[in-house]
Amino acid sequence: MATISFDLVSPENLVFNDEVGTIIVPGKDGDLGILPGHSKVMSSLRPGRVMVYNEDKSLIKSFFVSGGFAEINPEKCIVLAESVVEVNSLEKTSIEKEIQELENKEGKETEEQLSVAKAKLEAINVNYYDKI
Amino acid sequence: MPSLKDIKTQINSVGSTKKITSAMKMVAASKLRRSQEKAEAARPYSSRLEEMLYSLASSAASGEGIIKLLTGTGNDQNYIVVPVSADRGLCGGFNSSINRETFKLVKSLEGNGKKVQLMPVGKKSRDFFNRVMKDQIIKSFVDLNVSSTGYESALNISNKLQELYFEGKFDKCILVFNKFKSAISQEVTQQQLIPLDVSNSEKEEEKDNSSNAIYDYEPDEETILKDLLPKNVSIQVFKVLLESDAGEQGARMAAMDNATRNAGEMIDSLTLKYNRTRQAFITKELIEIISGAESI
Repeated sequence: MATISFDLVSPENLVFNDEVGTIIVPGKDGDLGILPGHSKVMSSLRPGRVMVYNEDKSLIKSFFVSGGFAEINPEKCIVLAESVVEVNSLEKTSIEKEIQELENKEGKETEEQLSVAKAKLEAINVNYYDKI
Repeated sequence: MPSLKDIKTQINSVGSTKKITSAMKMVAASKLRRSQEKAEAARPYSSRLEEMLYSLASSAASGEGIIKLLTGTGNDQNYIVVPVSADRGLCGGFNSSINRETFKLVKSLEGNGKKVQLMPVGKKSRDFFNRVMKDQIIKSFVDLNVSSTGYESALNISNKLQELYFEGKFDKCILVFNKFKSAISQEVTQQQLIPLDVSNSEKEEEKDNSSNAIYDYEPDEETILKDLLPKNVSIQVFKVLLESDAGEQGARMAAMDNATRNAGEMIDSLTLKYNRTRQAFITKELIEIISGAESI
């Protein structure tokens, strides 16, 4: 089966770079499943999970991104994200604490941070896409 | 004539200075490598983002809201100048050239009747402009430590800039920073950050060659552009901070290398002087002994 090259880039480093089978990215208007030969798309992302699978559809890695952009063409998929963490390394308790703190504050920035934190929590709790 | 002991003390003190400068050189060299790696790592992100931006820039129709980061406010009366210097000295002309260049820029802008405000980054430029044009500073950023804090520090600066921009506090933002050319040379560079300068001929050509036109955009071009522009400001600031950090280490390395060499030369000449003086003393004492023996 064909593969597609996938780059996950954050401002600080190149997080992931390999040939993979399938990628699911959290597009602004809904999740995008990307297989080799996908048509050319440029999409902005909402905070959520980027899931990477190998050719036999088993999950290799899942990342949490706080938003960003994806550029997709038939051979290559590039995701630019401001902050990238592996979902496994997220800690539920510290995020819950963060959410509580943020809920007591106000302002536009806090709102954004809150929505990112909530998305993080969701990313830990949900398990759809673990198997496709 | 200095006594032997005086010269000895002097040699020792120059010797310990030499030790310090050579240690600083080593430290700067290893930090330089690290900063260079950081700058290298940031490159894929910023170049991708730029490419996306250039392919979208043409779709920006009117100057409303966030798009203003691209199209400008339509005025160019109020400027904000951001000199990026180091927090520490002992790095040759690194900081002073930034300060000098910024000062010149501000004066020439003011000469053209523009209003200029300053937002120095780094202790050395903050201190300098605190002395010469204190009332024009609106905010300063020090102790950024970009190589350890990373992207966060750039975000702080760019958020502040955008906040001021959308409050209508300024029309154009210019960064003055040391561009990292090689380990031993830096070039003072001015870069217009806001509004974004898309009149880059090189990029235009690239754009024509690539097949960006057939991309599908989701949700749509304008929404993506609105997300992209603020991020681009941050990443540009981040890039500049990293360049400046690498430049600082390079400049310090070169300065300390020079200092070490000078100290070595100084020790050589002082040692020569010490030996001559010692020889002179011995000769003198010999003459005294001989003439004393003769007179008996």
